[in-house]
Amino acid sequence: MACEDGRAMEVRLTLNGKPVRVEVDPRERLLDTLRYRLGLTGSKEGCGEGECGACTVLMDGVPANSCLVLTAQCRGRSVRTIESVDAKALGPMLASGATQCGACTPGVVMTALWVKENPGLRDSHTLRELMAGNLCRCTGYDGIIDGLHAWVESDARSGGAA
Amino acid sequence: MKPLDEATLIPSHMPTTNRPSNMGASVNDNASRLDAVPKVTGSAKYGKDYHLPNSLYIVFIRCPWGAADFVSADEAAAKATPGVVEMQVRGKSCTYHGQSIGYIAADSPRAAKRALRALAPKWKRTPVKTQISDTVKDNPDIGDDGQNNMNGAEVTHEAVYTTPVQTHSSLETHGGAVDHRGDRATVYASTQGTSSSRDGLGGPLGLGQGDFELVCEYVGGGFGSKLGGPGKELTTAAQLAAKYKRPAYMFCNRSEEHLDTGNRPSSRTLARIGFKKDGSPVGGEIRTWGGTGVAGGGGGASIPSGRYKLGEIKKLHDDVSFNGGGPRAFRAPGHPQAAFAEELMLDEVAAKLGMDPLALRMKLAGGEHRKMFEAGAKLIGWSNRKPNGSQNSALRTGYGAGAAGWGSAGPGGAAEVVIARDGSVESRTGTQDIGTGQRTGMGIVTADALGIPLKYVSVKIGRSTLPPGPGSGGSVTTPTTAPTMTAVAKAAKTQLLELLATQANAKPDEFSIKDGVVLRNGEKYLTWEEACGKLPNDGITANKGKGERGDGHSNGVQFVKLDVDTETGVIHLRHVVAIQSCGRVICRKTAESQIIGGVIQGLSFALFENKLLDRNTGAMVNDNFESYKILGPGDMPHIEPVLWSKGQSGFKALGEPPTIPTAGATACALFNAIGRPVRDLPLTPDKVLAALAAGQGGAA
Ligand code: FES
Ligand code: FES
Repeated sequence: MACEDGRAMEVRLTLNGKPVRVEVDPRERLLDTLRYRLGLTGSKEGCGEGECGACTVLMDGVPANSCLVLTAQCRGRSVRTIESVDAKALGPMLASGATQCGACTPGVVMTALWVKENPGLRDSHTLRELMAGNLCRCTGYDGIIDGLHAWVESDARSGGAA
Repeated sequence: MKPLDEATLIPSHMPTTNRPSNMGASVNDNASRLDAVPKVTGSAKYGKDYHLPNSLYIVFIRCPWGAADFVSADEAAAKATPGVVEMQVRGKSCTYHGQSIGYIAADSPRAAKRALRALAPKWKRTPVKTQISDTVKDNPDIGDDGQNNMNGAEVTHEAVYTTPVQTHSSLETHGGAVDHRGDRATVYASTQGTSSSRDGLGGPLGLGQGDFELVCEYVGGGFGSKLGGPGKELTTAAQLAAKYKRPAYMFCNRSEEHLDTGNRPSSRTLARIGFKKDGSPVGGEIRTWGGTGVAGGGGGASIPSGRYKLGEIKKLHDDVSFNGGGPRAFRAPGHPQAAFAEELMLDEVAAKLGMDPLALRMKLAGGEHRKMFEAGAKLIGWSNRKPNGSQNSALRTGYGAGAAGWGSAGPGGAAEVVIARDGSVESRTGTQDIGTGQRTGMGIVTADALGIPLKYVSVKIGRSTLPPGPGSGGSVTTPTTAPTMTAVAKAAKTQLLELLATQANAKPDEFSIKDGVVLRNGEKYLTWEEACGKLPNDGITANKGKGERGDGHSNGVQFVKLDVDTETGVIHLRHVVAIQSCGRVICRKTAESQIIGGVIQGLSFALFENKLLDRNTGAMVNDNFESYKILGPGDMPHIEPVLWSKGQSGFKALGEPPTIPTAGATACALFNAIGRPVRDLPLTPDKVLAALAAGQGGAA
């Protein structure tokens, strides 16, 4: 897709496990590439300035605010978005009142996924500290933290990480 | 520093299941949100997610100063920017930061933004007022009769309390996307009023009401700011979509959202009040000023609230304008500001009387509030409260309390319930779900009225082509729609049972439905699905029914426990107990979530939020989420919501009351911890340290 002033560059990355090639403006934010070019609107824009976490994706397994990442920076890297997440795997996050309006929720879930997949994080940080980069105006966070707790515990009980 | 006590040790992950203290049962204790899966997996589509092919993207041209005259702009350069389709600049004098003087429409968001930069408008700043105190400088009496209702008082109190402007800060900003196809259109809106937005769009779209549909199946919060018609963002998108017969998209960014989509107006309250030594109220006068920015009015503060007997009170309110965006309804408009003043005033009076502030409240409050205060005092551990200012340690603990109340609405709106031959049920109402759980609540009351498990029910909401329901304002959505949906579902059930009776040559009242089983004279007759299999091809559709109105108000009380670090002035919230009645509870989880959400908005108002305008230029200096801080996960105390449904009937308001008493109770807890009141929100460390310094000579 060409850009209005003719600038474009090709970026190859792994997106949700599949290799993809996108042609983007060199100044384009990853969030815009996802939402606007690729139609992946699960990642939300709450602030556009790295403050709310609604746009969180995992870059090489680590949470990143996709509103602060240039798509060009994703060259050769692996990006995972909310669209890759299977509802069935999220059991306790669904059951706990972790969402009200839902605008913050995809970002919350991506950070939660990182917490769940990296049990070592919880040795030195509380769940609240780990979730501190995600703002929610509705739920009061209780349901989110409860759900995440139940989710990581269910893993510990069944003896293995996903 | 002393070690933290047991409340800190309550795990932050305390389960919400089976909270021990809920007083009464809900219709459904265990249901999760019906829309949890689409929300949690990101497949739910919000208005902001509709990037339609070939869409126009619109940006507003806005004044960067509190007051300025438009001088000039490089319109030629803006128009020459590749991708620009249309531009309109109405050069004029502006009176607040963020005021729009026109728009640019372009083929992509980037092109629109680039053109906005090329336009580079020039402005000449003019003098500004930025707050109530620029106009109101002293504390005048009400009237000149010298009569302030305090004759005979043994203890008097006079003080001024202020609260700042708070923005709604919904995560999804204002705006919409319009798909105009010539003679038809679909509008994807972010609104709290499906019907009122639809009503305002026929003109801009150039279409009759039957020729377009407004869709808002998911709305990313609103809290009052998305009421009252389509708004200028969506209206402009509709006009341009109609003009060019192509899709158009306009959504605010976070800065614009802070600047120009409404707010909770600031307040200044002057209270003069008198009491007898035993705590009986004598009376007084209360003057309030509301900071309405450029709007003409709407800054009223609801004090006296009527929740406490205060004797004869003379009251006067004035709205004060300054160079800031105007207010809009915000979750319990006028109440949190008023409750902050009223609750802290009561604690200060109690201190002067040498009374426990809870004892004073028990003397002044009505019956249900008193019972709630008693229950809440136990849950928060009020007996551990130390007298005001009696602690000398670096870390001091404080307790505070406050009360809420809200009236109720009657049934209304329209609804439809369809039972299909395969046993599936669809409940339909056009009303939107702004995050309150409307979809889930409608499903639960339908299932309950039919006597079947929730799994059979799907809910359609948030479309203007569905039976119209109310806007989400005044906490009326559920009290209006739930009784109506219940009545309509019961009508559908009656039709079904009559049909079964006719087929069996029996009387309808021999039949009933319980837990998904149709009973005849109390014995199992058919499963739900077997019974529905006997329906005619097109099933059953019911859309008539008048709901019943319940009794009572949505009362509540809250208790806050916090620690103050007296070396840094930082407040650590520890524990909040929020007791709330709301009639018959439909869904325990969404109700608890709604209470907790009200509490955090109140805590955030108490500690952090402040729309700050530069006093020289009138520009908002914190138009973002970094320096306009809202409460985050790390700031949360342990919040204990208690649903109080004893002795209540009907479905009552729940959205607004839980955010009323929180800031007041927090300010009282701070007063208790440090012995000095902080009368100006937010309760930031600098004010706490200043209060401590002022109190060095002895506790108040
Ligand atoms: S949109 Fe990226 S952090 Fe808020
Ligand atoms: S659920 Fe609305 S912002 Fe989190």
